[in-house]
Amino acid sequence: MDLSVKDIYRPLTFDEAVAAFSDEPSMLPIAGGTDISVQMRAGKFAGAHLLDLSGVLPRSISADGGFIEIGAGATMDEIADSGPLRSVCPALCQAARKVGAWPIQCRATLGGNLANASPAADTAPPLLVADALVVAAGQGGLRNIEAEDFFAGPGENTLKPGELIHSIRLPVTDPPSFSRFTKLGWQREQIISVVSLSISLHLNDQGLVTKAAAALGAVAATPKRAPSVEAVLVGHSLDPAAISRAVEAVQNDITPIDDIRAPAWYRRVAAATLVERMLEEASGA
Amino acid sequence: MPETIIIHLTINGTGRSFRTPPGRRLLDLIRDDAGQTGTKEGCGAGECGACTVLLDGLPIPSCLVLAASCEGHEITTVEGLVHDGSPHAVQEAMVETGGVQCGFCTPGVIMTSVALLENSIDDREEQGRRLAGNLCRCTGYEKIFHALEVAGTTDD
Repeated sequence: MDLSVKDIYRPLTFDEAVAAFSDEPSMLPIAGGTDISVQMRAGKFAGAHLLDLSGVLPRSISADGGFIEIGAGATMDEIADSGPLRSVCPALCQAARKVGAWPIQCRATLGGNLANASPAADTAPPLLVADALVVAAGQGGLRNIEAEDFFAGPGENTLKPGELIHSIRLPVTDPPSFSRFTKLGWQREQIISVVSLSISLHLNDQGLVTKAAAALGAVAATPKRAPSVEAVLVGHSLDPAAISRAVEAVQNDITPIDDIRAPAWYRRVAAATLVERMLEEASGA
Repeated sequence: MPETIIIHLTINGTGRSFRTPPGRRLLDLIRDDAGQTGTKEGCGAGECGACTVLLDGLPIPSCLVLAASCEGHEITTVEGLVHDGSPHAVQEAMVETGGVQCGFCTPGVIMTSVALLENSIDDREEQGRRLAGNLCRCTGYEKIFHALEVAGTTDD
C-alpha cells in the first residue's frame, strides 16, 4: 500500500536540502524513515511533502579536536560498530544496538532518532550523559544546541523552522571510567523502552566517584538527566549505602505517566531497579 | 491522481527504472512493479522482518523504506541469491536442515542470514540477537541456527 505522499523532493546535496527546507519549512524531512513510515502508515502526515535526506546527510564518524563528530545520517549499525565511539562512549554504541532489530539499525539514523524526539529515544540518554551538542543547519549556517536543550516534549524538539540536524558532537577529552546503557521493555530485543538508563562515572584510584552523569528515557515528557542521582554519587565510593541513596534519589528526577506500555508506578519501580543494577555493576559487586 | 516520479535502482544486478507514486514503499516496488514476489509482507510496520531485503549489502525492512529514497542504490532480494541456477549456500542449508516450515518468514530470514555470513558474524548468540527482528513461529530457530552453521562452513 502506497503511503500518503503528495510529493517528494530529493536534493543532491545537503546544502540543497537546507536551502529547500528554509524556503519551505512545511516539508517533512525523512532520513532512514523507519519511524516516520510507521506513523504515516497509521495515518499521520497524510499528503505530506517529503524532503528526502537519505542520500545527503553527513554520515561519517570522525575525531575533530576534542570532539567526535557523528554525521546525522550515521546509522545505528555504524554507530554500534564504530571503534572511536566504542572507546570513548560505549553507552551510545550499546544504545544504538538496541534500537529495533538489526535491519532497522542498518537503516535508522542518529539524526532521525533525535529529531523524532520520542521520550523513549534510546540514543538520547547516552548523549545527554555525554554533554553532547546537536549541530543544527539552517539558512544562517550551523549552530550548536546542548543535548539537554534539544528535547521540548513528546515529538517536539527545539529546532527552528527550516533547520535540519547536521551532526552530533561528543566531547571526548575526558572519557569516563564507566559508561553504560540499558533498557527495559516487554521483551529483550526489538522493543520500545519502558524505561531506559545511561550512567557515566569517573572514578579515582580510591574508588571515589569524582564525576557522575545519569539520564533516563521514557520516564518524563522528554529524555532527561537525573541530577539528584548524580549529586548523591559524587564524592562517595559505590558502596551499598551510596547505591541505595541513588536508588531513592532517582524518584525525584522522573515524572512518569501511565501509557500503553506501562503504568507510572511500574516505571518508578523499574527506574529504581535499573539504577541499582547498573551501579552494582559499576562497583564490581 | 497523485504526481508520479521516476526511480532508477538496481534490483538483483539489473538496472531498472520505474514510474511510481512518490509514496511507494520499496516492498511494493519490488513485488508489484518489479514482479519479484519472493519478498513477503508480514506486519507492514517493521516488527516481523518478513520483508527484509539487502540495500547495498545490508538488511533493511523494505516495508518502512520509500522506493524513492533508494535512487541509485542496489537491492538484493531472495531471487537474486540464485546464481547460474544454483541456490545460495544459505538457501541450500535451510533446505538441508529443515529451517523452512510454513515458509513465510523464510525469505527475510535468508536475507538477514546472508548478511550475517557476509559480515563474518559467526558467534551464535550474536546471530540470535541479529535475527531477533525476523520472527519465525514454526521452527523455534534451532534449525535456522543450524542452517547458518552449515552455510558458514560451506560458504568459506
